Amino acid sequence: MKGRKTVRQSPLPKRDAIDSLVVASAQALRLTLDPSWEAGIKFNLQLILRHAALVDEFSLTDDAEPAAIFHA
Amino acid sequence: MLDMLATDFDFMPAAEIAAAVGSGRSTALAVIEATLARIRERDPLLNSFTAVTEQRALLRAEAIDAMRTRGEAIGPLAGVPFAVKNLFDVSGLSTLAGSKINRDMPPATRDAALIERLEAAGAILVGALNMGEYAYDFTGENSHDGASRNPHDHERMSGGSSGGSGAAVGGGLVPLALGSDTNGSIRVPSSLCGIFGLKPTYGRLTRARTFPFVASLDHLGPFARSVRDLALAYDAMQGSDAEDPACAGRPVEPVTPLLQQDADGLRVAVAAGYFKCNSGETCYAIDRVSAALGANRDVEIPQAERARSAAFVITAAEGASLHLNRLRTLARDFDPAVRDRLIAGAMTPASLVVKAQKFRRWYRDQVVKLFDEVDAILAPATPCTAPLIGQQTFRRGDAELPVRANLGLYTQPISFIGLPVVAVPVPLVPLPIGVQIIAAPWREDVALRLAYALEVKGVVAAMRPVF
Repeated sequence: MKGRKTVRQSPLPKRDAIDSLVVASAQALRLTLDPSWEAGIKFNLQLILRHAALVDEFSLTDDAEPAAIFHA
Repeated sequence: MLDMLATDFDFMPAAEIAAAVGSGRSTALAVIEATLARIRERDPLLNSFTAVTEQRALLRAEAIDAMRTRGEAIGPLAGVPFAVKNLFDVSGLSTLAGSKINRDMPPATRDAALIERLEAAGAILVGALNMGEYAYDFTGENSHDGASRNPHDHERMSGGSSGGSGAAVGGGLVPLALGSDTNGSIRVPSSLCGIFGLKPTYGRLTRARTFPFVASLDHLGPFARSVRDLALAYDAMQGSDAEDPACAGRPVEPVTPLLQQDADGLRVAVAAGYFKCNSGETCYAIDRVSAALGANRDVEIPQAERARSAAFVITAAEGASLHLNRLRTLARDFDPAVRDRLIAGAMTPASLVVKAQKFRRWYRDQVVKLFDEVDAILAPATPCTAPLIGQQTFRRGDAELPVRANLGLYTQPISFIGLPVVAVPVPLVPLPIGVQIIAAPWREDVALRLAYALEVKGVVAAMRPVF
């Protein structure tokens, strides 16, 4: 299987979108969040999404298999 | 004839301890009593232990001595004291995994599989070791149990998350310790504490009866002050185990007898690009090791930065999934820094996590091809020597980077695809730093042979700290 890097426009969610994601996700996951945690959660979520975007922009073919139980 | 003093055991290699007990020059009881005294004396400075299993160790030592008296086989690690990161199940103890929450769990009813295997080889467990909460850490700091401290400078980090393991072996409290490595948690403390650490191939050593972090990425492995001791421990722990679904059904492949094989014919390259050193200490260490091994070529590990990001995403998501119920009911009992990262991980869109796993398979296939041309690849273990405890940033080239997220920047792309790595300590003054010797899957023997060759040449060594 081949993969190649493609550079696509993949803008990160804006601040209000992150706020909405945090609120909606907390509801969906049945998590009760203290308002004092908000800044830390949003900082870390933005960091994860930055890393995820770097991976997501890499093009893989449709037959690319995930590494499930991974054996080196 | 018993002719050894308690002080003789200070910093004594495991192999020598086992030889002394096996020959009758010492008893296992004398070794363990000296070890326990050393722990009492030095651990207040290092904060490496969270539990000392004194009675268990003394009883086990007496049993070893009785077996020897009866002429029974006592194993290649007879009388050797060891300790384990406190995510390993120890019978009779709650498995803390560096947390406050797990203190309320019932005690384990059986030891972790690797503890059983080391004890079957005659080694003696003396306690459980400090770690970063739930292993989500590179610093060795812990808001519940306090930071484990670097043996070379007690104001500095031990590294993590196997911080207590690095400090206890680096400080000479025990010659062997076990830790875990998901993104660097054996290699980072090995580097900062100046000792040898082995992260085997993913699936080589069973993880049965240990508290997990990221099932896709968790490895277990030993720390030691010499390559021979590392190999002895590794050999004793090998073997398949149906209780760990990730444990491969590979036969035991002893490496200790192979250490002295000539390593001159092995093809060694230095990782370039993403892994290129840009601090004085890391460059010095890489240059010393590569010169000693005749590594006269570079190799580019493709997409390493992207691999690190993919490991980051998988870690965030799987770690969060593991702790989701605890985050719902006990969120305030987490270290806040860990809590916020876990909650954020739970909110990561699943499709991006699956993409990271797909990229993982692609990356693994590309990197393994490199080993058609080389037998081992060298890379720095950490981007800096041990930061001060509580230090938030460090300098890398022109950039100021956060410590917590970046101590593992060189280790993460390698553990992501489960390659075996020996971290070797380059004895810089005032602080040591490590180099990764990376081999092809299942070729721990190559990495250990190269580490041994470096040790014989005096290029790498576990420096003794001054107490």
